Amino acid sequence: MTKEISGGTMSDDDPPSEANTHWSQVAQRHYRPDGKRELTTVIVYAIAEAEDRSPGEIKSPPLYESVDVPAIEAAFFGPDVTENSRQGVGTVEFQYTGYLVKVRSDGWVQVYEPAEADLS
Amino acid sequence: MAGEPDPNEKTRSDTSTSPDGRSLPPDVLEIDPAYEALGHPRRRYLCYTLLEDTEWSLTELATKIAAWENDIPEHEVSEREREAVSVSLYHAHVPKLVDEGVIAFDDAMETITPAEHTEQVLTALEGIGASVDANQEAHARSEMHDEGN
Repeated sequence: MTKEISGGTMSDDDPPSEANTHWSQVAQRHYRPDGKRELTTVIVYAIAEAEDRSPGEIKSPPLYESVDVPAIEAAFFGPDVTENSRQGVGTVEFQYTGYLVKVRSDGWVQVYEPAEADLS
Repeated sequence: MAGEPDPNEKTRSDTSTSPDGRSLPPDVLEIDPAYEALGHPRRRYLCYTLLEDTEWSLTELATKIAAWENDIPEHEVSEREREAVSVSLYHAHVPKLVDEGVIAFDDAMETITPAEHTEQVLTALEGIGASVDANQEAHARSEMHDEGN
């Protein structure tokens, strides 16, 4: 029996970042557009590092269900219409299983987890 | 994703006639899944493995694709490299091909099998494979001859 990968299974339990949520960075990896590792792979490895697990253990949901990685790849790292590298500067953020992931146009992938609000 | 599969697709029984008079199933004429499937080198390698029309585990596929990409025998693929390819298959290429109806994926067993659009993708590969990427074609073909059983 086969079944298709189910649709997005992002948990609704933790609401997206509210204005007062604090995030602290727990992992980062660098993506090289000319390297062998795909951006998807680099993001999953960064999340694995944040969770202190092996990348193969990061399973559901597939990143594909959460964010359009090829679109980020094309926007930041793909050739522009004149076939030069893009010179834009920016960051794309998304949440994956409770983590906040930032992909920067300089290739850094940063993973943040919610931090206790500093109430002192 | 744009282009949800038409639920009525499978119930259509008409066939279209190609210029040389052969009848083709209508699915073969729908070219979007083929373009989407073949739009990435790693997915093209994955599609080549479907020529054998069999069932693959994610691990087997990752090993084979890593071997082809690095042009080394499968037993020389390092665990590190196998895992990197496996992660990209699981989180990007396999769900993409499932969306396009090119493969089916069993979550629990992590096995990959052909699906309704496999045939048209393979038809496209037969037509353009060698000119799109001669290395891929050579890898896939030579291996199938080696295994020739």
